[in-house]
Amino acid sequence: MKMAARTKARHESLGLSLEDVVQMYRVMLQTRMIGERMMQLNRMGKAMFVGVADGHEAAEVGSAWCIRKGVDWCVPYYRDVGVALVLGQTAKDQFLGVFAKATDPNSGGRQIVNQFSDVKAKMLSGSVHIATQFPHAVGLALAAKIRKQDHIVVTYGGEGATSPGDFHEAMNFAAVHELPVVFVIENNQYAISTPVKLQMAVANVADRAAAYGMPGVIADGTDVLDVYEKTKQACDRARGGDGPTLVEVKCYRYRPHSSDDDDSRYRSKDELQAWLQKDPIDKAAAYLLQQAVAASRLEDMRQEIAADIEAAITAAENDPDPDPATLTRYVYGEDAE
Amino acid sequence: MNIARDTALELYRVMGTIRRFEQRAEQLFGENKIWGTIHNYSGQEAVAAGVSAHLRDDDWITSTHRGHGHCIAKRADLGKMFAELLGRETGYCRGRGGSMHIADTSKGNLGANGIVGGGIPIAVGAALTAKQTKTDRVAVSYFGDGGANQGTFHEGLNLAAIWALPVVFVLENNQYAETNPVRDAFAVEDIATRAAGYGMPGVTVNGQDVRETYRAGGEAVARARRGDGPTLLVMDTYRYGGHYYGDPQVYRSKEEIEEWRAKRDPLAIARDWILTEKLASPADFDRIDTEVDAAVERGVKFAEASPPASPITLPEDVYAT
Repeated sequence: MKMAARTKARHESLGLSLEDVVQMYRVMLQTRMIGERMMQLNRMGKAMFVGVADGHEAAEVGSAWCIRKGVDWCVPYYRDVGVALVLGQTAKDQFLGVFAKATDPNSGGRQIVNQFSDVKAKMLSGSVHIATQFPHAVGLALAAKIRKQDHIVVTYGGEGATSPGDFHEAMNFAAVHELPVVFVIENNQYAISTPVKLQMAVANVADRAAAYGMPGVIADGTDVLDVYEKTKQACDRARGGDGPTLVEVKCYRYRPHSSDDDDSRYRSKDELQAWLQKDPIDKAAAYLLQQAVAASRLEDMRQEIAADIEAAITAAENDPDPDPATLTRYVYGEDAE
Repeated sequence: MNIARDTALELYRVMGTIRRFEQRAEQLFGENKIWGTIHNYSGQEAVAAGVSAHLRDDDWITSTHRGHGHCIAKRADLGKMFAELLGRETGYCRGRGGSMHIADTSKGNLGANGIVGGGIPIAVGAALTAKQTKTDRVAVSYFGDGGANQGTFHEGLNLAAIWALPVVFVLENNQYAETNPVRDAFAVEDIATRAAGYGMPGVTVNGQDVRETYRAGGEAVARARRGDGPTLLVMDTYRYGGHYYGDPQVYRSKEEIEEWRAKRDPLAIARDWILTEKLASPADFDRIDTEVDAAVERGVKFAEASPPASPITLPEDVYAT
């Protein structure tokens, strides 16, 4: 029997190597496992407050994979642990924030958890206020256009963040000035406790894009390759000078909104179970196995990540707390040290 | 849609009153009798006249910095309006607010607003009141193309759509946000497409033809009143004057202004229509014009005879008593 002509695997047609997909999977798994430990540390009384990304792993990793490290700017939101890890933050960096240590790269232990801010990774500090990141991202994109710089900007938010006026003003300005910015909306179906059907009278966040004259596309947030593909097209469009795109990534958060939220009051276990059947990490693992990656490699990876996380927690706990005498630092500009 | 003689002439009278009011306001400004600034509504008369004709006194409007026309179409007292412009104690805000703060809650006018887009959430709040109290009252928010790019527009339209509130959003596209032309402020050709982003109907209307504004306003107000939710009406219109009195208008050409005045004047269009359909005679227009002039002059006289706002009472009305 003759072999049929070999058709390209999905990742190949997207320009990714199998090793790329393995590394995507690694960061997704790492994101999930870090979240698990963050919640445990909160319940143990060691972490004041946490918010985790369970269920968002494909949305965050697949999209962030399109960002050129050290070139493009990223303006993430508070659930984007997966984005921060792709852009070079470590497990220890996450726990330094969880424990509010002096060495926390985001804020020196001053901000609440997940307020990513990292000059090296080109992640712009956000505000806790929902949707304020969008005008900031548009400003960075305007700077790129005016200065004729090469960078694009990828910014993130939840679907709840598309209701404040900041979103509207940012989308309109980006479209009018054809700015190199990609809006990635992680639609996890709930703005804290408000379901999407009570948040907007349209079926999709992506439907809003037409009102500004920009493309709006929908990605399957349970499929890391689909998220990568849609975001990559949007980034290529921005890099080509063709303007902004709205990418809606439909996903689901498995955990409560934060460690202070009781999600049993607004959604059913059945709904969660239905989404768990489409889990993005399971899907990615199934894809890798189908592409002949050894199961033992994936299992070893899990062990390595677990060991790395335990070491990161111990190391982070042993780092110094911020000195109260330095409280007012970073409030006003200072000369670089 | 056939419009009866009485309605047609009333629409004409309201538009004529707005036009004449603005002429007199500019004269008074030139005589240094008006404090602050004024924004002239001339050219846009058909919008306020056509939509507000469908409103009752217990329906609400919110207005803008360019609000004289909205106030008049909501049956404001001309004397109290002039008095407010002239800083008199008898004005709508006892002479403290001036042109941009005329409100008349007895007629459902929740006020002009110096904040661009500021009236939109207020109208949505009023519409929420109507829904919560189970009445059939309706709110209309007038705002400009510049207001449509403020975050308040987005938040207001989204909430109105989700809750199916009885509110009509009247976007007066007068082609310029101060100096910024709409083509530099929107990346869409048809601004009414914005409505689809919220799941509500969006309609583009010829804002210079009062038949069109009356028809579209009637449909949107009726839809709101029967509980079917909000509508966005985009009224294509034009302001004849500058953004403010004294605006050098370097951002548009004289030819453009003349073209709108000559071909798309709302009063001329209304006269042509009414005469063509033989709803009235030229003598009827002469009579109405005379009455309008007299009403406006009475208003000016009332204001000029009123005492100026007293600085001693300035802190009054700041807090509720």
